[in-house]
Amino acid sequence: MRILVIEDDRATADYIAKGLQEDGQVVDVARDGKDGMFLAMNEPFDVIVTDRMLPGANGLSIIRALRASGIATPVLVLTALGEVDKRVEGLEAGADDYLGKPFAFAELRARIRALARRPAGPPAEQTELVHGDIRMDLLHRTATRGPRKLDLLPTEWRLLEYMLRHPGQVLTRTMLLEKVWDFSFDPTTNVVDVHVSRLRRKLEAPGEAPAIRTVRGAGYALEAAARDAAG
Amino acid sequence: MIRHSFALRTALSAAGLVLVLSLLGAGWVWRQGEAELRAQLDFTLAAEAEALVREAETLGLAGLVEQARSFGRRGSPLLVALQTVDGAPIAGGLAGASPSLLRGFATLRAEGGRGPLRALGALLPTGVNLIVASDLAPVERAAARLAWAPVGAAGLAVAAGLALGFAGARRLESRLANAGEAARGIMDGDLARRLPANPRGDEFDRLAATINLMLARIEALMAAQRQVTENIAHDLRTPLSRLRLRLEAALAAPRSPPADAATMEAALAELDQVLATFRALLRIARADSGAGRAEFQPFDLSALVAGVAEAYGPVAEDAGRQLAAMIAPGLVLSGDAALLRQSLANLLDNALLHGGPHIALRLSAGPVLEVTDDGPGIPAAERQAVQGRFHRLEASRNTPGTGLGLALVAATARLHGGALDILDGPGGQGVTLRLDLRARAG
Repeated sequence: MRILVIEDDRATADYIAKGLQEDGQVVDVARDGKDGMFLAMNEPFDVIVTDRMLPGANGLSIIRALRASGIATPVLVLTALGEVDKRVEGLEAGADDYLGKPFAFAELRARIRALARRPAGPPAEQTELVHGDIRMDLLHRTATRGPRKLDLLPTEWRLLEYMLRHPGQVLTRTMLLEKVWDFSFDPTTNVVDVHVSRLRRKLEAPGEAPAIRTVRGAGYALEAAARDAAG
Repeated sequence: MIRHSFALRTALSAAGLVLVLSLLGAGWVWRQGEAELRAQLDFTLAAEAEALVREAETLGLAGLVEQARSFGRRGSPLLVALQTVDGAPIAGGLAGASPSLLRGFATLRAEGGRGPLRALGALLPTGVNLIVASDLAPVERAAARLAWAPVGAAGLAVAAGLALGFAGARRLESRLANAGEAARGIMDGDLARRLPANPRGDEFDRLAATINLMLARIEALMAAQRQVTENIAHDLRTPLSRLRLRLEAALAAPRSPPADAATMEAALAELDQVLATFRALLRIARADSGAGRAEFQPFDLSALVAGVAEAYGPVAEDAGRQLAAMIAPGLVLSGDAALLRQSLANLLDNALLHGGPHIALRLSAGPVLEVTDDGPGIPAAERQAVQGRFHRLEASRNTPGTGLGLALVAATARLHGGALDILDGPGGQGVTLRLDLRARAG
């Protein structure tokens, strides 16, 4: 995977680049908005990570320029602590995800992976999500694991749908809170864990293989092993 | 200072304009008046000449000569002269002017320093040229007097206008000086200072009243900002010094990979807590600044509350509690959905962490949002304080939380023109937190 990192702070840029390279990614770093814009417009990348405030051209104007030229590369915007509530503005400019600084590297990695593997078509066109023996019919709103019908509450449905759209990837609590519940904050109580464990109980009947894996210190992932069960 | 006065400048321009216009007007009056007076004079000359000719017809030439001489003797403003066809004088005189044969009207140049003469000549059947003339100087004097009258009046008006303008400028200057002095006082840090405003309510007072409202808003914002700064200084210093001590101690201890890893993990957790506090503070400050009000959007409050209730139902159940939700459907509110979602989550978090076994969530028309639990409640004396930042009840010092949850709820309520009320629970047991979102005046 080839990733462009546009970040003017040298320490942060090096930290992100080093982490992603250790992950086996190819990373290009631009240190100002002008270079970033040039690279983003002229080279193919799988994901672009850009700071919001940049010398030269700011992150949002880079995104607008990309989208105006028909380049749909997923973009993740990083923002300073003081801009917690600028999320909507960023998403409206055409950013695909938004992460406030300072962040845990695991969080950034999880979000980059989720962006890189987004399905090419718009989600609305998909009528069925399948992962291993877990199957979700979006038209009839039915979910099954193998022959067994899953009886899901609305929240559990949304949670499973989101996980099925990102099979095998680590999804952090923050990502789940944002995408499933629209919570842009971290509640004091363990909302995510409670719902995941309920979904897990419904997915994993006695004798069935584990479906949701807990990634310690990071989040949850739909078990890749589930695919093996289906062959 | 008064030289650069708007009022004076206006008065001066008006005065200049009045002067120029009155001079133009005077020119016009002078021309018209002079033409009119000349026509009058011509008419008089013609009437006099006609009378003389009629007299000549009855009295003969001798009578006419006598008439001409008598005009000269009387010192009449009219001059009468009789001369032969060749210009030889017979009787009377034209005060030095000696035209040759004159028939009809003419303006003659007189000699001997007199002004020009207006003359009318007629040839009598006896071969005598009769000339009646009058001095033109009185005509011009009258025309000039006529023309200068409006200029004089305009001059008086200009003088009066300038005097009024100067007085007005002085008055304006003193009122503005008061406002300027107040503004300098505010710049020097006296944020409670306000511009002087009379109850009379003219345009300046109205402007001063508006500016005073703005100053009150700025003062409130500055106070909020100062509070955030003080909060950061006081309440973030404790965890940060703890973190420093922890790292220092770990550095001094002999290296041991498992112990180092444990220290780093604990340090990260502590740091994350500091950052969470920081974020919450910024969010409260932003809500208190009212900055989001311009971006308020109408949204389905009932659906939002139902969504949060659905997220918290299982959490309550797993904690051995009961969450009962009564949500009036279809309530739409124009506001900040993200902040309201977080406020409701904070109220439910609080009820779960500090409250009793039964939690009730109620959304009713208004909209009014209530979270009630039958736990230990909040003592009446602390109900105001818990809405401030970092205030925690003694009993809950050791439960998780930043001490900012209710502060955010209160700030969100204020942002939406409402209030957070803390009441006794039903039957005096527990507590009800009521987020009243009915927009209040002011």
